[in-house]
Formats: sequence, structure tokens, C-alpha cells
Amino acid sequence: MSAESSGPAAAPARTQPSPPGKPPVLPRGGGEAERPAAARPEPSGRRRSAVAVRRWRWHAAGIVALLAWTLPPFLYLVVLSIKPERILIDRSQIFFWPTLERYRDFVASGLAAPIWTSLVTSTLGSLGTLVLAGLAAMTFSFLEFRAKAVLFLLILLPRMFPPVTTVIPIQLMLKSMGLIDTKTALIILFIGFQIPLALWVLHTFLADVPRELAESAAIDGASLPAIVMRILLPLAGPGLLAAFILCFIFNWNEFLFPLIVTSFNARTGSVAIMSFTAGYKKLQWGALATLGVIMTIPVVLFVLAFRQSLVRGFTAGALKG
Amino acid sequence: MKWAALGSGRIYFWLMIVPAVLYVAAWRLGPALYTLWLGLHQYNIVYDAAPRWNHLANYPQLLRDGALRQSLGLSGEFALIATAAEVVIGLAAAVFLDTDPPGRNLLLGVFLLPMIMAPVVVGTAWGTLFDRTVGYIPYVLQRLNVPQPQWLATPGTAMFALLIADAWEWAPLVALLLFAALQAVPREHFEAARVDGASGWQLFRRIILPQITGMIFVAAGLRLMDAFLELDKVFVMTGGGPGSSTQFVSMFVYKQAFQFYELGYASAVITVLLAALGAAYWIYLRNYGRALRGATP
Repeated sequence: MSAESSGPAAAPARTQPSPPGKPPVLPRGGGEAERPAAARPEPSGRRRSAVAVRRWRWHAAGIVALLAWTLPPFLYLVVLSIKPERILIDRSQIFFWPTLERYRDFVASGLAAPIWTSLVTSTLGSLGTLVLAGLAAMTFSFLEFRAKAVLFLLILLPRMFPPVTTVIPIQLMLKSMGLIDTKTALIILFIGFQIPLALWVLHTFLADVPRELAESAAIDGASLPAIVMRILLPLAGPGLLAAFILCFIFNWNEFLFPLIVTSFNARTGSVAIMSFTAGYKKLQWGALATLGVIMTIPVVLFVLAFRQSLVRGFTAGALKG
Repeated sequence: MKWAALGSGRIYFWLMIVPAVLYVAAWRLGPALYTLWLGLHQYNIVYDAAPRWNHLANYPQLLRDGALRQSLGLSGEFALIATAAEVVIGLAAAVFLDTDPPGRNLLLGVFLLPMIMAPVVVGTAWGTLFDRTVGYIPYVLQRLNVPQPQWLATPGTAMFALLIADAWEWAPLVALLLFAALQAVPREHFEAARVDGASGWQLFRRIILPQITGMIFVAAGLRLMDAFLELDKVFVMTGGGPGSSTQFVSMFVYKQAFQFYELGYASAVITVLLAALGAAYWIYLRNYGRALRGATP
């Protein structure tokens, strides 16, 4: 992964020179490396190394604490998924010869179907969202009109009330349409769920596109489809990507609605995990952990590959208010 | 761009906006309004053929419902403690990341993973960690001869396990927001104070903290409202049990609607929640604008 090299851009780099007495001994993130060396008063050798050592210790302790807080549940799921069945509950055996049996048997055990359902419905749902929200976002970003604020609020409003508020009517609606336990039902729902989020994310990204570009093209007589295709779409690329990934992740993680509108044929990964918490599957810890790991893989890949746009999208998404 | 300048292009713009509006109206706003209407009726899908007007009987029932009151109390308790924990952990992580440790951006990415993975998987990971037969938490405590209950099958400790899982999942969101706020704090004050000989703690307490207070409230508000309606992890880890000791309000609504089929009553409860949440959002938004202005220079 090119994660490290992409460092500075992920967060606003600081432009001020760092405070005196804070020697740049350690290799640190982005912006600071560009600081001109002459701007720094050089402290005396001994003091400099004392400060550096203290700083190094502080950083090392922090990193250890951060990783010790975040990683154990992940590692534990992975360990559980590769631990041979006969020593599964023997927790004194930390070192063992791992088995990939469960990953090999994944398809045979019928768990591939829910993952496939999740993949298909999340992808198609997100694409549908992007089309609808993308079109609307362009209008909202580049046009002044009277009902704009009202319409914008109307679309963003559902973001504010939680999913549980619509769960009953939606189940009744899908039942009367005969769509219970179908992938179509999930796709329909997923498209609708993420429109507010996608619209907001695209809105924040489109705000960076200079208006004059579209305006001057319009004055030069370019047709609207041409403006959209030639000017806005290429510039909105990063925003679309961020919105797609966010929508995909939210759809992939969605639990309540798949639980309610699907039973077996179209159950998603999340719903399949639920089936391990009750009944005869209750004690299949290894298979449960394997499913958990597989559910997490796409998320981890997305985060590592697109962290910058994700962080920006999440910040925008969280602040949707 | 001016509306008039577009001429006949207007129609395209309308066509671009209409699908999204219709879609949201049909699948989000419509259902929400239907929920309000259903809350005024008796509708048990097993006994009633159609929603039946019952003279608003759902609302007096709601006031008398001890189980609902218990759920609201549990949700409130959960939301408050979880939010407090997340703010403390998130703030610590944000301040640490703000000191530019080596590999900062990779660390941030790793730290954010829990909030991006599926909540049911978070529930699974912590559920197994706390489990008596396979989990390491009971195992380690047992090796240390610490007497302990069955974590997920004892009221107080089941709540504790859920709180830990929630803090693990959502402290990163608080950290992300506060980190962004910290990065925006102008450094000049800071350096002046440092030159004047302020200690690290004084710097933090007097200079940094006041400037991110707004964002702390924003983050805490977000988490409070979300944690109040927590459902996914409860489903996987405790199922609302033991008994009803972790039956938060979302779980209560779910059981009313999909186990007892009392759709009318469940809708009435949702209506009340919606009203309460609306009030919370109103207060939040009023302060939110101010807070955000305070957080960004």
C-alpha cells in the first residue's frame, strides 16, 4: 500500500515553523520536513538529545497504547478463524499450526451466498445512489433557484431520523409488493438510504469546483448535457469515488433492514452473522469468526486504499448535522 | 449560475433533481409519515386485518408501560456513559496524533477501522472475547484468580461489555473530528505561551482545550443521539438480555413490532422517540453552528 507516502495530504499540513526547543530529530509526518533548516534555533547538544529522547518515549508509548486499544479484537477474530477446531477453546495454546480449512470450506458451508448478496446489493445500491444523488448534487451546487433550500433540506432531512423510524412501513410496503426476501428489495432500499449522505458528500466536493467554469461554458452556448459530461463529471471524480465508497461501506454494514426484509434467499453477510447467535449454530465459533473476517476484508482494503477521500467524506458525513 | 441564463436548459436541471427528491419522498419521508399515522391506530398484524382507529389508546398505554420506561432509562444510561468514554479516549488519541508521531496517517487509518467495519462484526469480536468458553477476557481473569461472573449473562457486566464495544467502535469518530479541529488551531498562541514557559498540561488546558470545546460538543452530541438508539451490537452480543437488562429502546421497538406484531403501538413509541430526537436536533443545530464557527478560524 502506498499509505505512508500519501501522508501529508490527508490532513492539513502545518505551515508554521515548529516551536523552538523541539528539534526535528525524528522522521515526522509531512509538512514539517519542508521547513527551512535555518529558521530553527539550534539548542545545545545535550539538551537537544534529552528533549528528543523524551519525545521519542512519548511517541513510542502513544503508538503502543493506540495499537493495543485498536488491534486485539481484529487479531482475535483472525486467530479464532485459523485455530484448529480441537484446540479452539483451549486458550492456553497461543501458538499453534494454523488451519485454513474454514476459508477453504467457506463456499461449501453456504456462507458464500450471503457475502455474494451483500456484494451485489451494496454495489448496485451505491451505483443507483450515485446516479440519483450525483444529478441532484450538480443542480444544487451550480444553480440558484427559489425552492433550493427547501428541497435540499427535504432530501437531507431523512439523514437525521434513524432507520428504526421507517422500518415498519417499509416492511409492509415490500410485503405488499411481493419483494420480501429478494435482492431487488435490498437494492431499492440501499439506493434510498444513502441519497442524503451521498448528496452531502458530493456537495462538499463540488463546492471546490470553480463555478466560472460551468458558467462560462453556458454563456459560450454549451448544452447542459455537454456541461455535465465534459466539465462537471471529470472534476467531480474524486467526490464520486468518495461517495461511492462511503455508500458501499454503509450498505455493506447495514443490519436492521436486511434482517427484516430478508429471511434466507437474499440474506446478507450481517444477517448471516446473526444466525450464529442462536440455535444449533451457536457454538460454531470458528465459522463465525471466519465470516467476521471475510466481512471485514473489503472494508479494510477500501480504508487502506482510499484513506484520504474517506477521511474527508467521513468528516463531511459526520457533520451533516 | 443564474436560473434565467439557462433558458431552455432549466428543464434539464429539473429533470436532474426530481428523481432524487421523489425517491427520498417515497422511501424515506413517506414511510416516516406513515409511521406517525400508524401510531394513532391499533394494528396487530396477527389479529387486525387493517389499522383500526382506537381513540389514541396507544399514548396512554405508552405512559403506563414500565418496560418502555426501563428501556428508555437503559438507553440513556448507555448513551451517557458510552459518550463520556468515547470523548475521553477520542480526545486522548486526537491530542496524541496532533503531536505528529512517526507514521501518523497510517496510525489514524488503523485507529479508524473499528468505526468503518460492520457493527455486527464489532459485536461478534467483543461477544467472543467476553465469552466464557472461547474468550480471552474471562480466561485471563481466571488465570489471575479474579472472581468473575459470566460476562454477557449477568445484567451489570453485559451492559459493561456493550459499553466497551461501543467505545471501541466509536471513539475513533470523536478522535477524527477532534483531530481535524486541533489541526485548525492556530499555532501562534501556543508558541507564545510555550516561550513564556507554560508546561505541556497548561498549554493543553488553557490554550488548546478552549479552542476545541465547540467540536467536543459537536462530537458528543452526535454520539449521544446515535448511542441512544444502539441496536446492532445488542442484537449480536446479548439479544437484549439477560432478561431485559440490556433491552435498549430500539430493541424494545423491534420486539414490539416484529415479535409481538403490535405495529400500531411500536409506531407510537417511534413517534415519541422522533419528537424527542427532533427536539434534541433542534437544540443541537442551534448550538452547532456556533460551535463550528468557534472550532474553525
